[in-house]
Amino acid sequence: MSIVSALKGDLPQQARSLYRQLLRQGEQFQAYNFREYAKRRTRDAFREHTGVQDPREIQSLIQKGLKELQMMKRQTVVSQFYQLDRLVVEGGMSGKQSGGSGNIARQKDTGWD
Amino acid sequence: MFRTALLRTAVSASRAAARPVARRAFMPVRAAVAPAPRLAAFKSVRMYSAASGLKKEEVEGRIMGILQGFDKVNDPSNIKPTAHFSNDLGLDSLDTVEVVMAIEEEFSIEIPDKDADGIHSVNQAVEYILSQPDAN
Repeated sequence: MSIVSALKGDLPQQARSLYRQLLRQGEQFQAYNFREYAKRRTRDAFREHTGVQDPREIQSLIQKGLKELQMMKRQTVVSQFYQLDRLVVEGGMSGKQSGGSGNIARQKDTGWD
Repeated sequence: MFRTALLRTAVSASRAAARPVARRAFMPVRAAVAPAPRLAAFKSVRMYSAASGLKKEEVEGRIMGILQGFDKVNDPSNIKPTAHFSNDLGLDSLDTVEVVMAIEEEFSIEIPDKDADGIHSVNQAVEYILSQPDAN
């Protein structure tokens, strides 16, 4: 899946698409702290530049965002090699991963064979 | 998986059914397998049926619930089924993206960029969700 080809349309559309992709990718981090940081950083960076009017600058910011997206894709894959117990702040009181969204199921699939 | 489960339950059911008539060797077991165990087998296999579909009111309620929990909405009393994200609720385009993503998560679907850019109001979101058969 090529990243660059994923961005089509005019600048606002590209920016929204990039924002969506960055947030989606950030969701993939295994570790809670990285996940929350990635999402927060994405939001803050986009908010910081809401007033930018110059198309050239917007273009360069989008390029920067794409580089970050590529970096995040690599890092989320790496982060999924390391399983961590869920933190209490994540809601799972037992500290076990349950296989919900963004989680890895650790329970063995048993009972039918 | 379904087949193995079926086989397993059929085997155990036939064993259970065969026990009372086990004094005769082969034929009665065969005969016992035919009608009774089929029922027993199906009882222990989980049956999947088509989803009943979502009701419009339920979808509306859940989407408005998402908006209620979204702290950038200018005034919670503005959240109505007809509310427009940017005109009525004071959300900008980035907030709209976030709302649409929250809706995706709530109904466990993925909305492609093209459709997501077309959702600007509660109404449109409800319609889109209702048009998706795998939303739940």
